[in-house]
Amino acid sequence: MDHIVIDNLTRRYGPRVGVEGLSLRVPSGTVFGFLGPNGAGKTTTIRVLLGFLRPTAGRARIFGRDCWRDTHVIKGEVGYMPGDLRLYPWMTGADGLQIFGRVRGRDLRTPGAELADRFGLDLDVPAKAMSRGMRQKLGLILALVHEPKLLILDEPTASLDPLMQDRLNQHLRELAARGHTVFFSSHSLSEVEQLCDRVAILRNGKLVADESLDSLRTRVHRDVVIRWPSGDAAATTEPPGCLDVDLREGRYWQGSLRGPMSELVSWLAGRQVSDLTIAPPDLESLFRRYYKEESGEP
Amino acid sequence: MSRGLIGKTLREVWVALLLFAAGIMAFEALFAYVWPQFYEDFVGTVLQFKLIQHIFKGLLGTEVGPGIGLTTFAGMAWVHPIVLALLWAQEMTFCTRVPAGEVDRGTVDLLLGLPVSRRQVFLCESAVWLLTGLILVCSGLLGSLLGGLAADKEMRQPIGRLLIVAINFYGLYVAVGGICWLVSSLSDHRGRAIAVVFALVLVSFLLNFLGQLWEPAQAVQFLGVLNYYRPVVILGDGVWPLADMLTLVTVGGVCWLIGGVVFARRDICTV
Repeated sequence: MDHIVIDNLTRRYGPRVGVEGLSLRVPSGTVFGFLGPNGAGKTTTIRVLLGFLRPTAGRARIFGRDCWRDTHVIKGEVGYMPGDLRLYPWMTGADGLQIFGRVRGRDLRTPGAELADRFGLDLDVPAKAMSRGMRQKLGLILALVHEPKLLILDEPTASLDPLMQDRLNQHLRELAARGHTVFFSSHSLSEVEQLCDRVAILRNGKLVADESLDSLRTRVHRDVVIRWPSGDAAATTEPPGCLDVDLREGRYWQGSLRGPMSELVSWLAGRQVSDLTIAPPDLESLFRRYYKEESGEP
Repeated sequence: MSRGLIGKTLREVWVALLLFAAGIMAFEALFAYVWPQFYEDFVGTVLQFKLIQHIFKGLLGTEVGPGIGLTTFAGMAWVHPIVLALLWAQEMTFCTRVPAGEVDRGTVDLLLGLPVSRRQVFLCESAVWLLTGLILVCSGLLGSLLGGLAADKEMRQPIGRLLIVAINFYGLYVAVGGICWLVSSLSDHRGRAIAVVFALVLVSFLLNFLGQLWEPAQAVQFLGVLNYYRPVVILGDGVWPLADMLTLVTVGGVCWLIGGVVFARRDICTV
């Protein structure tokens, strides 16, 4: 079952396009990465999903319900952490848990205290006296505490230290293992790469990729360095079709693997090489390419 | 109604509410106690001047002369700029919190991330707004009664008439508050919303003032909310100003309703 279904969604701000013709499906129980550079339309999409913005065209549904019309019903099972989180200055963590608990109709103080313990947050400090990281932790606790079926996180790790990011990732993986869905927006691949099963990439308000990370990895070029036993061998050997050699220098070849690994391995099996280095798939370069295309850079 | 939302609203406004209520009560009490001591001097000397009579006519909305009775003239306590300023300042700070204030400071994402409809948020906020208005009006009434108790018996204002004034005062609160809700619903910036409402009540005050003194202004005087709030007249004749109160409640109610519809249908952008 898909927890989020977006069909041909368009949202404009006057003449400016937020997102255009976006169609997306997020299956339940997945950790879904929603990537794109700043201004690509990630937050606009999230705000449509949460019923803050009305679509110009198309529709968005969560749990099969319309995100604009039934937003208050949907949010009973949704946890949301905004990208630019602002808290009421007077609100302590304990206040937040009490208010949220009353609105959600359940006592959230005990699970909230457990989460605060896990994330290392003092629940008695008012937001006005909190550091940015502490506020971020409180926002996460308030989004997670009712164990929502769907968690929407808009760049949630911006102010968290690496240790805390690890704890959050672990918590999100545990949630996904229990069948919860995580919709994780970010402009950084590295954090999504560790966590997500599937990613969608937005550029200029349009979807440019929507596939699993494993599938993306197969399409990514790998840097390959081959050391031949002699300069002659390096100079006279013709490379296979799957390998683009960018540099021949003495006994060395340096290039990119553009085809399946098995093809290169078979080709090498019939030859004598002194050394071989194949770098792991560099997803970052793929994403940089997507982002650069957006800005018109070569 | 959501207990959590009402609790959150009360948590946010109770300090300001107490201060405003105490301010109104203290002013009414002081006025009721101190004013009678200066009344005779005031009527005998200051009110002899035509210019002063005109100014007071503008302020009170009725003819003022040396023959005016103490209890009637004491109605000035309810139209005094200090009382109106306290009442309206409380309303402007309260009614512009949601949605203009929430959008302005970005906390609306947290609020509307909860399983509540915008209509529910608006209704909960409005319920507390009506309650705080009641508290302010009762504070004024209590202050007036307490001040009167400390003064000589014959100087006290009749409770029945004071009650009518207080209800008319509440009608004024509803009218201005309704306008505040509408402006707040249309705005993303709290400061701008407050500025617009402030300008509107100031124009209303000036229209009322000028309308008493300058004939051309009388044609548009009906546009100001103070045209439907006449405590001095009520204290003088004791008649319920039903048409005035209906007008105030209708203006406030219609603006409030439109504000609620606008809030329920508008886009919420904080970035």
